[in-house]
Amino acid sequence: MSGHHQHERAGRTTSPYAARIRAIEALLLEKGVLTEPEVQDSISYMEARSPANGAKLVARAWMDGRFEELLLSDAKAAALQLGMEPEHPAEFIVVKNTPGVHNLIVCTLCSCYPRAILGRPPDWYKSFEYRSRAVREPRAVMREFGFEPPEDVEVIVHDSTADVRYMVLPLRPLGTEDMREDELVELVTRDSLVGVNVPRS
Amino acid sequence: MGGVHDMGGSPGGPIDRGQHEVEDWERLADAINAALGGKGLQTTDQHRRAIESLEEYRDLSYYERWVAATEKLLVEKGVLTSDEIDERAASIRRHWGEP
Repeated sequence: MSGHHQHERAGRTTSPYAARIRAIEALLLEKGVLTEPEVQDSISYMEARSPANGAKLVARAWMDGRFEELLLSDAKAAALQLGMEPEHPAEFIVVKNTPGVHNLIVCTLCSCYPRAILGRPPDWYKSFEYRSRAVREPRAVMREFGFEPPEDVEVIVHDSTADVRYMVLPLRPLGTEDMREDELVELVTRDSLVGVNVPRS
Repeated sequence: MGGVHDMGGSPGGPIDRGQHEVEDWERLADAINAALGGKGLQTTDQHRRAIESLEEYRDLSYYERWVAATEKLLVEKGVLTSDEIDERAASIRRHWGEP
């Protein structure tokens, strides 16, 4: 395989596919394959999801050891308990960072991501560069995001698939013992849920 | 044998951490894909296979690949024909004032 990856033209606004998907939509509606409300519901579903959901799960786990146990053993049940809608055919697994282990999530084959919880993945997660390199040189990748775990910390990279989606439970930052749950939520960034960085401190 | 999508472990350049604003047609591509899945007309694995077999994989943006794959599956399954999609897309582009 060539070492030269072409950059995705993610920012292009004049895609010929804009008209094609509109055409597909119109034809599917006319033929009664889909209905207007089904398309609208599907748009609203994705718009309602964001990394804020992941931040709430993490902050609750930091506050409550029993919730952390549930999050690590049955993440969908934990999400349901906080009023989220984790329903999706894929498994949802939360992996815990410890003082000795740092987890990093990637989908080398495409872009699998816990969309039912966190929404759409960021562009860089889908980039050829991240997909190629996260499994080859995770520490170099994390350095680009401004973070690198200490030398003696083991880095585990989880490669997502269509059937299994991962999220990281980061370490609670030092010095946050007196913080309330709603303050802790603010520390948890999307990048820390993927593992390319750690929460704000 | 690895396909074009199987890039884990390959060397690569720096990661572009910029984020583009999701466009309406991209939201729609996402939504139609999910709605077809919800109706049992398409599975994630079928869509994935269709994306991975696109000849223009490396030349398309992310959601362009999604649309191309959705189209491929709908045609394969006999739900729509390429001709009717071509025709309708051309008429939409004329309506938008595009060549």
